[in-house]
Amino acid sequence: MKSPTLLSILLFATTALRAEPADVLLAAATDTELQPLIAQLGSPHTETRAAWQFWTGTLDGKKVVLTRTEGDPLNAVAATTLAIRRYSPRLIITFGTARPHDPALHAGDIVVSGKFAAFDGIVSRVTPLDGGVASATWYRLPHLLATAGEKETPAYSFPADSAALAAAKSLQSAHGKVIPGVLGSANQVNLEADRIAWLHQTWGTSCEDGESAHVAGCAQLLGVPVVGLRVIQSADGKPDAAAEKIAGETARQLLEAIK
Amino acid sequence: MRYLTLLLLLAVTLRAAEPVDVLVQGAENLEVQEIVAGLRDAKKIQIGRFSFWTGRIGPHRVAVQLTGQALLNCTTSTIIGIEEFSPKLIVNQGTSGAQAPYLTLHDIIVGRGAIDYGNFTTPPKAAGMGSDPLHWTPVPQGLRNLTTGAFETFPHGFAGDPAALAVALRTRNPMGRVFAGIIGSAHEVNLEMDRVRWSHQTFGMDVEEMESGHVAAIAHAYGIRYIAFRVVSDAPYEGVPFYALAARATGLFTVNFLENLPPLPATP
Repeated sequence: MKSPTLLSILLFATTALRAEPADVLLAAATDTELQPLIAQLGSPHTETRAAWQFWTGTLDGKKVVLTRTEGDPLNAVAATTLAIRRYSPRLIITFGTARPHDPALHAGDIVVSGKFAAFDGIVSRVTPLDGGVASATWYRLPHLLATAGEKETPAYSFPADSAALAAAKSLQSAHGKVIPGVLGSANQVNLEADRIAWLHQTWGTSCEDGESAHVAGCAQLLGVPVVGLRVIQSADGKPDAAAEKIAGETARQLLEAIK
Repeated sequence: MRYLTLLLLLAVTLRAAEPVDVLVQGAENLEVQEIVAGLRDAKKIQIGRFSFWTGRIGPHRVAVQLTGQALLNCTTSTIIGIEEFSPKLIVNQGTSGAQAPYLTLHDIIVGRGAIDYGNFTTPPKAAGMGSDPLHWTPVPQGLRNLTTGAFETFPHGFAGDPAALAVALRTRNPMGRVFAGIIGSAHEVNLEMDRVRWSHQTFGMDVEEMESGHVAAIAHAYGIRYIAFRVVSDAPYEGVPFYALAARATGLFTVNFLENLPPLPATP
């Protein structure tokens, strides 16, 4: 298997199936977050696959690819998997807005990913009919990461890349504090204060969005470093275009800060 | 060592094998065991963390895939399975919890529909006002239609392929009964009977599990035919706890299904 000829054949085949590798994959939920960055791309190019879209080009001298996650775990993981296979990024930046779980956070603050928690896993307690539903008594169900050798590895959280996190922590924002924390995600909009407090306490989440921790979990499955940032939006659950715009600007700053 | 590293990287990124007719998925080892045993000319392929076994069952070229459990694993691995093997049909099968009292251990639900039921928006409630899951509003899975640009939602989930459904309903389950029904997916194990009843009433769900609704969405995005089978491995109305070996029933049923399924036409 170490024959140079075989290696050449494999390299040729790879070139045919894969695009030129990217330095960074930038993943975000909305066009408001993505389009300002797409508009700045040098040598822009667009590709699609099934329901997912990819914009490639250069930003700040780096080869980048951007994809739209649609703000939910399924689309985010699908788009991330396709992007990793096609563009082999060395780093993923997941960015956007989030609703606060930590009462110390305020609108405009930016949480950077100390780590990620996909908090959608639950096991409820055995309760008979007419016994009610008590979400505050649910147990956490970890993600059982597929592991080579037909094994599973339970994970309650996913790590961020330490060098990229250090760069993220060094960012300055005119809109609020930059704080390391736990980026939580699920396809949920939680507006019950008691449940938000329970999530914060049980999962340790600083904030919630629709996809960041799932992107991080996918990155871990496929062995790609990841970092995330979330601009805290108003807590009413409604889309916040101003916060989305800040998220795009901050992702651009992070891209510049990463060596 | 440098060549070895390169080759390992290439192994992840290159298409691993010839296209197959059917991609057959299970989330756990027990769920793929009987099907792998049923393969002729079986060959194992490892792609990153994910294991595949190719071979033939009946007239079909088949890749059996161990997807791992729940959305994160099954979405990642399904994309890899589709991109590597270009299947004409995806069969997602395994174990599930009954959501309706008529079902018992070893019964099989053939999915006339598969839905992601775990997504929701809660009404606002102030501190001290509690949490009320039975009044959360479901959020349907959506997919971008890149032709129109619209983000389309699927509040009733995704329909099973009618031809595959018809064959499955004529296929023998060696360990129980077979019904057409609705399969619901979320990263949840619901043992509160009021929520089980709510899922059945709200989505028409017959069983709950963790993958088929997600894989259905991906198959829809790619335009690939899709069917899901779920054996009842726990029946909370009867107090039957999870019985992992029930996976044998759906594995054997899937082998019978593939033997009954006529050759699939070439995809356009």
